[in-house]
Amino acid sequence: MTTPIRKLLIANRGEIAVRIIRACRDMGIKSVAVYSDADAAAFHVRLADEVYNIGPAPSNQSYLVHDRIIDAAKRSGTQAIHPGYGFLAENAAFAKRCEDEGLIFIGPKSKTIALLGDKLAARATALKAGLPLIPGSDIDSANLVSALKTAKSIGFPVLVKAAAGGGGKGMRVVTSEELFEESLKSAANEAKSAFGDSRVYLEKYLPKPRHIEMQILCDQHGNCLYLGERECSIQRRHQKVIEESPSPLVTPEFRARMGKAAVDIARGSGYVGAGTVEFLVDEDKSFYFLEVNTRLQVEHPVTEMVTGIDLVKEQIAIAEGKKLSLAQSDIQIRGHAIECRIYAEDPDNGFMPSTGTLKSYVIPAGPGIRVDSGVVVGSEIPIYYDPMIAKLIAWGKDRVEATSRMKRALEEYHVSGVESTIGFHRVIMDNEKFVAGELSTRFLEEEYPENVYRLLTDELRERAALAVAIDKYSRERKITAGQSGNHGDAAARSNWKLTYRRAGLRQFGGSR
Amino acid sequence: MARYQVTVDGKEFDITLEYRSEQFVASVNGRNYTVTQTPLSEGRSLLLIDNESLEVDVHSHNGSGERHVFMAGIEILTTIEDYAVAQMRKAAGISHVTMDDVLKAPMPGLVLDIKVHQGDKVTKGQPLVVVEAMKMENIIKAKQAGAVKAIRVQAGASVEKGDILLEFEK
Repeated sequence: MTTPIRKLLIANRGEIAVRIIRACRDMGIKSVAVYSDADAAAFHVRLADEVYNIGPAPSNQSYLVHDRIIDAAKRSGTQAIHPGYGFLAENAAFAKRCEDEGLIFIGPKSKTIALLGDKLAARATALKAGLPLIPGSDIDSANLVSALKTAKSIGFPVLVKAAAGGGGKGMRVVTSEELFEESLKSAANEAKSAFGDSRVYLEKYLPKPRHIEMQILCDQHGNCLYLGERECSIQRRHQKVIEESPSPLVTPEFRARMGKAAVDIARGSGYVGAGTVEFLVDEDKSFYFLEVNTRLQVEHPVTEMVTGIDLVKEQIAIAEGKKLSLAQSDIQIRGHAIECRIYAEDPDNGFMPSTGTLKSYVIPAGPGIRVDSGVVVGSEIPIYYDPMIAKLIAWGKDRVEATSRMKRALEEYHVSGVESTIGFHRVIMDNEKFVAGELSTRFLEEEYPENVYRLLTDELRERAALAVAIDKYSRERKITAGQSGNHGDAAARSNWKLTYRRAGLRQFGGSR
Repeated sequence: MARYQVTVDGKEFDITLEYRSEQFVASVNGRNYTVTQTPLSEGRSLLLIDNESLEVDVHSHNGSGERHVFMAGIEILTTIEDYAVAQMRKAAGISHVTMDDVLKAPMPGLVLDIKVHQGDKVTKGQPLVVVEAMKMENIIKAKQAGAVKAIRVQAGASVEKGDILLEFEK
């Protein structure tokens, strides 16, 4: 039985809210946006059909408050809620609440989210489904003697991870036995304060892994597909900054094996909807299960570009109860796509967030370019949320063409008023190892150990100096197009100004 | 004619400009360029430097000589002075019209740690203060070498954007 969705609420903000509103438009579905006080004039609010204020700027008083979202859904008469990514996307309690209220949550069932959100339970599910796991073990952090014994049997260096973890919180690399006790305690404490759950476990530390993940789509009728991989090895602070599909490492045979593993865990967990099974790939090309993200990923556009499948539309169709219209053999990878995340951050200052107003904002276009942007000129970049402002995606017939299009688009992209990572991406696109496809999650720390990306060249310094001098001269002497000046002002009689006025008249006269 | 001194990332540029028949004739550290400027919007213009096209934003900061230039995907901090003023300043032994004689909080947040003490000599890139904002720890580093004259905040304090964290020796 299918339930057509006619109205859908997006429980998110920024570029992903815009992305989902666009899918709604494509499908003829009315879109409902929610917004905090800081987002009253945000781009997603401007685009949506209906909008509801859900409270003050801090997300724990607005975008994260279940009651406020549910209330907006009820008031607007929506049938479904799309959580996007982040905020409530992997919150099992919120998904359960939607189920109880008779609202369609666009994502897997709440019990699947709960199962896969617990890393230990996810590992057990993966093991049962026959997936390769990184050698590791459940431990009792209170029992140091037995925990140390387990660590030694795995062998140092070992990774301590939080069972409820994510984003690198509650995670420690322990290089030797002497450091084990201290690291274990601090990881457990951090996990306790971040997630309210101090359980930790151990994993063998892989020195130079690649992060490769598999996109899956499963309907409510037991059909499950994999849509190829994405490589997301270039990360800072355990957060992805550049992603691509296909991975330069992955062969069709490798893809089929990894895809089968992803489908196996999806079936083993009763998965419904779009999801991502993350793997780490060792230097000997062995892959190991990492975790399942039970939501749409930030980097989903690269998969869309190479498969031609609109993942948000598929999510909605699945939630309506429709059967997948594709078979595995219909999924073809065509060409290559790369995504650069554009953050309002200063790359040469430890990627520190930069807040302010976008004074100018020109997004690139042209063959093979897609920009999923959450902002427009004049947008405020508030301090309260993730500082990602847009995603720039380039498609080409192969990796070389995709990279050259990305470089072209990065040159066209113009942002002022806040710092951005555009210059950083330009440097990476020219990096020899990147060009060669030699990636690992340690890429940035190995290639740029000082965290300095040398964005400034001598030529740029000179150009900047000249631009500043001309700006000052023009302002002080009022050289501004169309400026009429002040009659009777002594300066207005100066030769340069008269000359300029004549020039201006000629300009305006000639433009018609 | 005007003569300026512009400092970009520690490098000084001696620039003379003359506006003649709708064009700037510029000399930058002795290299000559012809430049036309077309304003696009507030602070933003199109420069044709010897016919090479460059879109650039220049934003001034609290009325000082500080200018933020946005081009080629990055923000570049600069200072500009009249050349004569810069010469007098140098003759008087004042090192620079510093934009960095104080360290300001670049964002609102919580001060987690102060990595330096009063009197410390710091080098460019050295971590100074750790501020938590946007749920992330942000390490604020020295933009240039200097000595810490005073520490104006304590760990645990909440700061607003622009609050002074440290003072440096001039």
